[in-house]
Amino acid sequence: MKQIAIAVENLTKWYGRPGQGVLAVDHIEFEVYQGEIFGFLGPNGAGKSTTQRMLTTLLEPTEGRITVGGCDLTHDARAVKKQLGLVPEESNIYTELTAWQNLIFAARLYLVPRPEQVARAEELLRLFGLWEKRHVKADNFSKGMRRRLSIAMGIIHRPTLLFLDEPTTGLDAQSVHTIRNLVRQMNAEGTTIFLTTHHIEEANQLCDRVAIINHGRIAAIDTPERLKEAFRQVQSVEVAFEPDQLLATGTLEQLPHVTEVVKAGDKWRLYTTDPSALLPAIVQHAEQSNMRIVNLATLQPSLEDVFLQITGQPLGHEDTGRGDSARRGPAEEVAS
Amino acid sequence: MKKSSWWNTFTDEISLAWTVAAKDMRVYYLTPPMLMFGLMLPFFLFFSFSLKRDIGAEVGMARLLALTTFFTASSAGPVIIPLERRARTYDRLLAAPMSLATLLIGKTLVGAFFGLGVSLVPLVVGLVVLDVSVANPGQLLAALVFSSLAFAAFGLIFASIPTQSVGNIMMPSTLIRWPLLFVSGIFVPLDEMAAWARSLAYLSPLTYAQDLFNHGILGEGSLNPWLDLGLLPLLVVLFLLPAAWLHQRSRVLGY
Repeated sequence: MKQIAIAVENLTKWYGRPGQGVLAVDHIEFEVYQGEIFGFLGPNGAGKSTTQRMLTTLLEPTEGRITVGGCDLTHDARAVKKQLGLVPEESNIYTELTAWQNLIFAARLYLVPRPEQVARAEELLRLFGLWEKRHVKADNFSKGMRRRLSIAMGIIHRPTLLFLDEPTTGLDAQSVHTIRNLVRQMNAEGTTIFLTTHHIEEANQLCDRVAIINHGRIAAIDTPERLKEAFRQVQSVEVAFEPDQLLATGTLEQLPHVTEVVKAGDKWRLYTTDPSALLPAIVQHAEQSNMRIVNLATLQPSLEDVFLQITGQPLGHEDTGRGDSARRGPAEEVAS
Repeated sequence: MKKSSWWNTFTDEISLAWTVAAKDMRVYYLTPPMLMFGLMLPFFLFFSFSLKRDIGAEVGMARLLALTTFFTASSAGPVIIPLERRARTYDRLLAAPMSLATLLIGKTLVGAFFGLGVSLVPLVVGLVVLDVSVANPGQLLAALVFSSLAFAAFGLIFASIPTQSVGNIMMPSTLIRWPLLFVSGIFVPLDEMAAWARSLAYLSPLTYAQDLFNHGILGEGSLNPWLDLGLLPLLVVLFLLPAAWLHQRSRVLGY
């Protein structure tokens, strides 16, 4: 039986007076199991940050109960806090201090024994490629370096439960790769990870389960694959023509079984309830229009498709990697 | 076993309060708002109200020390906490395994050390350059320590205002602190005040600090020095209690 790392019951947050102010989180309930990477997705203003702030003791709930590792957050906050690591979206480092001073301060804040502080700080600075810059003030660091330092500060005390808020937002590919590998490694070593992200593909790649919050309520919670299975009707066919004479989407929308047409770079994505019936219609349409099909593929619903179906709105500021997250059906690429 | 657990928690909290204070001293003491509100303001005020007035060096020293501890110590919290909220580093402290009381005690120490440190400048100048004599060094030391602690805790009440802007805190803080200057026996001695003004003076924490500085340097004051010595430490607790309540309230609002 899976052990529970976080149990959330009836969690509610009103900003302002209950019933009169703004209801940010509306009686949500979920569990996070020990040793899993749990993704928490939602559009801007859905209640993601508010929920995470309540789970990390930064914000008091209006109502409800949070248990972390069996300890009640309200009554045993100190014991809970010792288990937690927190890496917020904004790199909250002290820019007036050096990387070394920041890490030693974080170690002291979590009462890491003195001899271990130095060894652990060195280990993390080397791991994150900051060892050579350890005596440089963080004010002179790039965004990626600040992010890496912030993560190092969040894990210096070896937390059993790590909260990561948009850990790779705005970082270069190398930093993203390093951080994702670290997340996987920490998880493999037993750390439970609560990942809040806009980046659906990141959640798809990293998370054992995801919860989607919308308008303050949990709209769905399951493994990425089961969520996609539940939204099987959101299938699509991706096609590229040469020459592309489709100046308007209207032509493709008239094809049978097409529910929506989206231009994706030099390709067209046709959402459909029946890809097998649509494929011959596309080929016929290309022949009639004297166009050559250079690429044709059926796509299974991506986690982002699921997200959009549930929330009914696009994601926030992030590039969601739509093309990457769509799953190609096996051996269904056709080039004529 | 139970006592040991209690003792460990206590020593952990003391260690954490000091960790917070030491970090703040390193990070914030030389920031422009701290220098502006904590260092320049008391000296500016002193010279504005004292130049070309016929006061002795000892009287001037007692005034300046009271002004300095008051403005300097009470500026630390209102400057540092909104800056930390804005940089989101305050979240790091709130998420750490310590109580809010410990965090506030750490912040009180930051203000108190700032008040003490800045006060040493006029004190040394007075003793060495102006040859000021100190009537009761013990009382002067007590005045410096307890005033700095009390005023640092006083500043934390303002720092509880849920904002990320130093200016938003300094406005109400100034509105309260400046009038206190005129009813606390600094520019008008307590004995020369009208009865109604003296009634107000007894409500001001600055009155007891000024009186204890007078006892320490001049060897005489308007009140019993034991009253000052008893009240100033008590004020530390009396200011920390509402500060803790207000900071807790700010957390409910998400600050």
